[in-house]
Amino acid sequence: MFSNEAFAQIAEKYMDTVFRVAYGWLKNPDDANDVTQDVLVELYKTDKAFESDAHLKNWLIRVTVNRCKMLFRSPWRRHEDIDDYAETLSFEQPRDEGLFKAVMALDKKYRVPLLLFYYEGYSTAEVASMLSVAEKTVSTRLYRARAKLRTILEEE
Amino acid sequence: MTEKERFQRAFAPLHASPDTMTEVMKMTERKMKRPALRRAATIGLAAALVLALGSVAYASDLGGIQRTVQLWIKGDQTDAVMTIDQGRYTIDYTDKDGTEHEMGGGGIAIEDDGTERALTEEEMLEHLDAPEVVYEDDGTVMIYYRGQSLDITDRFDENGLCHVLLRDEQDGGKTLFVTIRYNDGYSYNSTKYEDPYGRR
Repeated sequence: MFSNEAFAQIAEKYMDTVFRVAYGWLKNPDDANDVTQDVLVELYKTDKAFESDAHLKNWLIRVTVNRCKMLFRSPWRRHEDIDDYAETLSFEQPRDEGLFKAVMALDKKYRVPLLLFYYEGYSTAEVASMLSVAEKTVSTRLYRARAKLRTILEEE
Repeated sequence: MTEKERFQRAFAPLHASPDTMTEVMKMTERKMKRPALRRAATIGLAAALVLALGSVAYASDLGGIQRTVQLWIKGDQTDAVMTIDQGRYTIDYTDKDGTEHEMGGGGIAIEDDGTERALTEEEMLEHLDAPEVVYEDDGTVMIYYRGQSLDITDRFDENGLCHVLLRDEQDGGKTLFVTIRYNDGYSYNSTKYEDPYGRR
């Protein structure tokens, strides 16, 4: 278990990562914030010995994915329009907002691997392990996601 | 600009709520005040008895009958010492990493006429032979039964229910229908699936 000071530092460092993965999965900032809080509390409670920062981050993402899976099954999920949420974000350029919306318009099975692969920089094997799917499935989904994104972005 | 850089720019504006840390610190303060017994209780149910070996002895220092048994602990067959005393049992064992554990259980049985009595040794052994559902720290949900283990994290339906059919070919094809309600108990039956609390 971490000291309060160590925990606060780690939580500050990774809470945006956890939120981003949760939002990518749930498409709702309130739910994503709830998951972020739950995951950080799990981190506080765990007595797991982490070998490295990478190990810790990997564990956090795995816990986040599992939390999202559980929440996603609930019929009482909150829904929020992506456009409304995008308006609250500060994008550097309009095309960044376009890509954000295009990714979020994809099915969860495409947008989550995209986020983990491109944003978090994990390999297809690591993404496969985090999502409990075959590596080939991840590769296929990334390929299809890119094709779908191209179509969406060309239409705009 | 690479695809990776484009993604970085598109998703960089996403941040957790500024209140997140405050909320988390409040929640962890509350958790700290809770007794830390749950984990031990959970581990206590993670055993399934396979075979009671000899060497029965009276443990005068512990005030009960002590015997050496073999248990399935999370899918690993493990030697353990079981002490039975007035309807309760304790089990001491060393796991494959060399860590010593102690767990216990027991309870009462209610007869048809409403009278209560301590569980018999046979009933306790039967309890230890039950499947066990374990919620791991990383959110994974596992079910263990004798030498078998199964990741059921993705198998809960929209009502939070998961149904698993367990079969032990080495025990004459003994079959158990297990119904797990997510984070809310589970039941098993040799003939049909039953909701743990009779809900639908």
